[in-house]
Amino acid sequence: MTGPLRYILAAALLGAAAAAGAADMKAGEAKAKEVCQACHGLDGNNPTPDYPKLGGQRPDYLAKALRDYKSGARKNAIMASFAGTLSPQDIANLAAYYAAQPPVLVVTH
Amino acid sequence: MMLTRSLTAFALLALPLLAWSQAAPSGDPVAGQRKTQMCAGCHSIPGWRTAYPEVYGVPKIGGQHPAYIVKSLQAYKSGERNHPSMRAIAATLSDQDMADLAAYYGATEPRTASK
Repeated sequence: MTGPLRYILAAALLGAAAAAGAADMKAGEAKAKEVCQACHGLDGNNPTPDYPKLGGQRPDYLAKALRDYKSGARKNAIMASFAGTLSPQDIANLAAYYAAQPPVLVVTH
Repeated sequence: MMLTRSLTAFALLALPLLAWSQAAPSGDPVAGQRKTQMCAGCHSIPGWRTAYPEVYGVPKIGGQHPAYIVKSLQAYKSGERNHPSMRAIAATLSDQDMADLAAYYGATEPRTASK
């Protein structure tokens, strides 16, 4: 890809990122209570072995996972139905919220 | 009638054995630690990001549920999850490798905590 097209694409991507807006932790917590808590826990440290812990996970990974569930790129019947209801702003809020919970997940050396 | 009963009884007795023989291997964290060469280059570096096909922070896996780690690796191996490097790496792992890695990374006591 060369020339102006590259800049147009970059501008479009930046625009999409900006459209999601700054993450709102309070709104993220409210949405987590509504949608995520039953399986993942409000702090992301759920005891259910089949469901991932989310507390302290990297926010851009969480957002990507939700986008992929919503688009169908990542296939999971349960998550598809929940992620399908989330707006880009909800996804940004939830990703920021769970990333900020006590880090039950760590980088292991 | 007698035969049907015997067969039913046999099936009832045999089913749990069959289920047991197909159960996932149990993981050995020490063996898992020896198999992390392919994982560490991304998952052991705080703040590391993917390069392709999308850029985002590599997920933290230390302290994750072992069952979920195994499920993720199986999904990469089967193609159900589609990250290119993870698919290539998971394709080389046996069920035992996955169980061992899950036992290592999923250990509840993190060896090194890093946010």
